[in-house]
Amino acid sequence: MKETFVVKHAVGGKIFIDTGKRAVPYKLEEKADGGYRFTVSTPRGPEIEELLKLAHELNVFVFRDCSEENEPTVKTWFYVNEGPVAYDDEKQELTIEAQSKIEYVPDRYLS
Amino acid sequence: MIQVYPEKTRYKVDLGWLKSRPSFQFGEYVDPDNSAFGVMRVCNDDYIAPGRGFGAHPHSDMEIVTIILSGQIRHEDNLGNIEIASAGEVQRITAGSGVIHAEYNPSDTEGLHLLQLWFMPRERGLPPSYETARYDRAKLVNALLPVAAAVPSEGVVKVEQDMTIYLSRLESGRELAFRQEAGRRVFLFVIEGSLTVNGVTLGALDEARITDEPELALKAGGEQAFFMLIDLP
Repeated sequence: MKETFVVKHAVGGKIFIDTGKRAVPYKLEEKADGGYRFTVSTPRGPEIEELLKLAHELNVFVFRDCSEENEPTVKTWFYVNEGPVAYDDEKQELTIEAQSKIEYVPDRYLS
Repeated sequence: MIQVYPEKTRYKVDLGWLKSRPSFQFGEYVDPDNSAFGVMRVCNDDYIAPGRGFGAHPHSDMEIVTIILSGQIRHEDNLGNIEIASAGEVQRITAGSGVIHAEYNPSDTEGLHLLQLWFMPRERGLPPSYETARYDRAKLVNALLPVAAAVPSEGVVKVEQDMTIYLSRLESGRELAFRQEAGRRVFLFVIEGSLTVNGVTLGALDEARITDEPELALKAGGEQAFFMLIDLP
């Protein structure tokens, strides 16, 4: 199973994080209130600065590819709403909290 | 103030299957000084080749209105909607707390031409929904016909924002007036023909962003003008 974590701008699609292209340690937890929290270990560079400015317009995904051939990619999209999305300079950690998620299989659309 | 954005100066995207002219920064077109006009965030003038389109992807907290100008579009979403809409119809998606959808041109032979418009909603987290409406083309002639509005009616899709999208087909030499309320914005897009607004001429596919002009006098040029006028905050 290959897992890819992606964070994009929801308007226009600029990619801020894509672990398929550049590995970044991250952790996904379910919160007690039913939401989700991503904790990402990354330095505070220009892309993280821009991500923080656009915190209310993020598309956050986890893609899962099975090792089996012919098994489609399963995508999970997380609704960030108003987050919070924050950066801890001391820990060099980005946190993104999401309210809900939708799982979908792109191959099942338009078939 | 009438700020004109001529078609020839607009950014152009050509992916082969998709030819697009975005009015605002979008995708590969990056211009932070041109990212919005009031609550309006996107106006993409798209040509989509037969059999091609956009695979499944999410949206949230955006009102997405698609005006189909020629051809057909097939829509499918995670709410269970599967529909083909065609020229003369307007599609609206309230993305709200999240929707997954795919759109493509189902024709084997005919291209699809549409305007895709995105607006920020009146509030975040609304329940997602989808709707289409067919407007009466005869009612476009020499009139401003609402096709999307906060208060829906027959042939008018509902948008979750204090705004109205009008279409009009103005015959050569005919005039229309539009009153712009204080603090409001008008986005004008000429789909076909040429149009004069308060003495400023717009050609086909030109657009104008208008503020602080209480009275708008709209007049068709030498040929009829097919245009879109959006009144928004």
